[in-house]
Amino acid sequence: MTWLAWRLQRTETIVAGGVLVLMAALLVPTGISMSEAYHTDGLGSCLAPNPGFSCVQKIGAFQSHYQALNFVTNWFTLIPGVLGVLLAAPFILDLEHRTYRLAWTQSITRRHWVAVKLGLAVLAAVGASAVLIALITWWRTPLTDIGGRLDTGTYDTTGSVAIGYTLFALGLAAALGAMWRRSAVSLTVAFVGYFAIRIVDDYWLRNRLASPLHATWSGARLPAYLEKANILSQTVTVNGRVIESGSSGGVLGAHSQLAVPGSRHALVHAVYQPASSFWTLQIRETLLFTAAAAACLVFAAVWTQRRVT
Amino acid sequence: MANAAVRTEALGKRYGSAWALSDCTLEIPADSITALVGPNGAGKTTLLHLVIGLMRQTTGSVEVLGHSPYAKAAEVLPRLGFVAQDHPLYRNLTVTETLELGRRLNPGWDAPYARERVGRLGLDGKRKVGKLSGGQQAQVALTLALAKRPQLLVLDEPVASLDPLARREFLSAVLEAVAEGDVTVILSSHIVSELERVCDHLVALTESHTRLAGPIDQILAGHRVLIGPRTGATAAARMHDVIRESHTERQTTLLVRADGHVYDTCWQQHEVDLEEIVLAYMGYAPGAAMPLPVPEAVAR
Repeated sequence: MTWLAWRLQRTETIVAGGVLVLMAALLVPTGISMSEAYHTDGLGSCLAPNPGFSCVQKIGAFQSHYQALNFVTNWFTLIPGVLGVLLAAPFILDLEHRTYRLAWTQSITRRHWVAVKLGLAVLAAVGASAVLIALITWWRTPLTDIGGRLDTGTYDTTGSVAIGYTLFALGLAAALGAMWRRSAVSLTVAFVGYFAIRIVDDYWLRNRLASPLHATWSGARLPAYLEKANILSQTVTVNGRVIESGSSGGVLGAHSQLAVPGSRHALVHAVYQPASSFWTLQIRETLLFTAAAAACLVFAAVWTQRRVT
Repeated sequence: MANAAVRTEALGKRYGSAWALSDCTLEIPADSITALVGPNGAGKTTLLHLVIGLMRQTTGSVEVLGHSPYAKAAEVLPRLGFVAQDHPLYRNLTVTETLELGRRLNPGWDAPYARERVGRLGLDGKRKVGKLSGGQQAQVALTLALAKRPQLLVLDEPVASLDPLARREFLSAVLEAVAEGDVTVILSSHIVSELERVCDHLVALTESHTRLAGPIDQILAGHRVLIGPRTGATAAARMHDVIRESHTERQTTLLVRADGHVYDTCWQQHEVDLEEIVLAYMGYAPGAAMPLPVPEAVAR
């Protein structure tokens, strides 16, 4: 059965590999040039506390130079969805073309069929997303050294969450496909659903996975421990008057200044997720998405065994 | 009957609120080649899908080669060959890959036989199955079912989608394969004449119910058409076991069950072909009013 499942999943796996090769074609040359620029400019030594003015300038120049590229790679957060949905296709196609009736009337049970079919898709999904993560993590190294890993674009594609995302997209597509047995509509709806859930995840769910910390300081200069942290909200008071309230500061890189009016006398209170929470958040979120994926896959398996005839 | 390959008891299957098959009781004798005939919608495909364990019954029971096919799929499947109506195959696999599928998914796979059969059909192993003609696809599907060396071969409307030549070739292939070993075959069709040539048993199904079942030669021997002067329905029924009657102003035509001779000189006797008998039972039978006419000798 593994042979058959692999044979029927070969095309999709090759396409998934093609997507990764395409990404590599974009990321490897730019990654090498970025890394060279980082070392040539000596930015590594600039990250030490209290650097000179030229260092702050150099970092700013480096960041703005790669801003456009960085922005493009933020969209790579959709690739786990593409990979997951793509790898669910062989399972749904077998149901849509009603060829499962051929497999189920050989000498294997349908339970076996479902397990191998979905199991192989899961393996391919984990493999593809691991390669994706490795590639992007390597590419981003200079940028994360400066800006940390908590900004959404970086967080979504490094660490381990992308594996959970891919599995979730795969599971969602498989569950819908088991019910509808129409590949085009199942894959489309699954991708849209994946996207919607990822938006909820990025803007709402993630910051609730670990309780944030509070900090108060005065002046525009960001305290060192808040560099690379994700500032969820900040309130600025000058002489007892609140002049800015609740706005999100986002993730600020090394040696950042806050654009605070009346900055020298300002008192800033911030709620933030420290840079050190990265792995706590990653692992919790990965587990959450993997559990949702598992639930979807179990649903797809049970539905297929019970309801498909 | 001691030896039934398939036995169903009050078998029923419901989809939502509609019953596709209900209260179906029948037996398929072992080593027979049984034609399962009935009009479209009689529940033939549903019955066959229950027999091969592709789905679970709502009510009643079904036993195939001594096991429940759905619950004991692992026991039954290796001994079962099935070709569905549209003979599903993976269109992107080549012929050789399709045989490889059979080898890998079946412990009892007869690889030399499968290769030899495909060779005899003149099929190029490197061709994609999707590029083959309908008749060739049916033959590949049949090869897949036969090379399992099944004890029970189930063919659901196997020739419905084939042209006359491919039909003949397909049925010949079935006969040839069956001649080699002890295989029970069930072929379904809504056209009786198509199966008469290859089958030795018949089960006629209308609205889930067995209208007629038995060895074909006995069925043929046991029915006659009588033509005589116009007679009232009740008068005729007193004399004969009437399956169907039709009247013109001057004469009455009866299709009757007659195990012996009809000693009634006012009737002209004619032999009758199988299709006409089956149609009489299915289409014109006065439904529930008629006792289920199952000849005793269902076994061989």
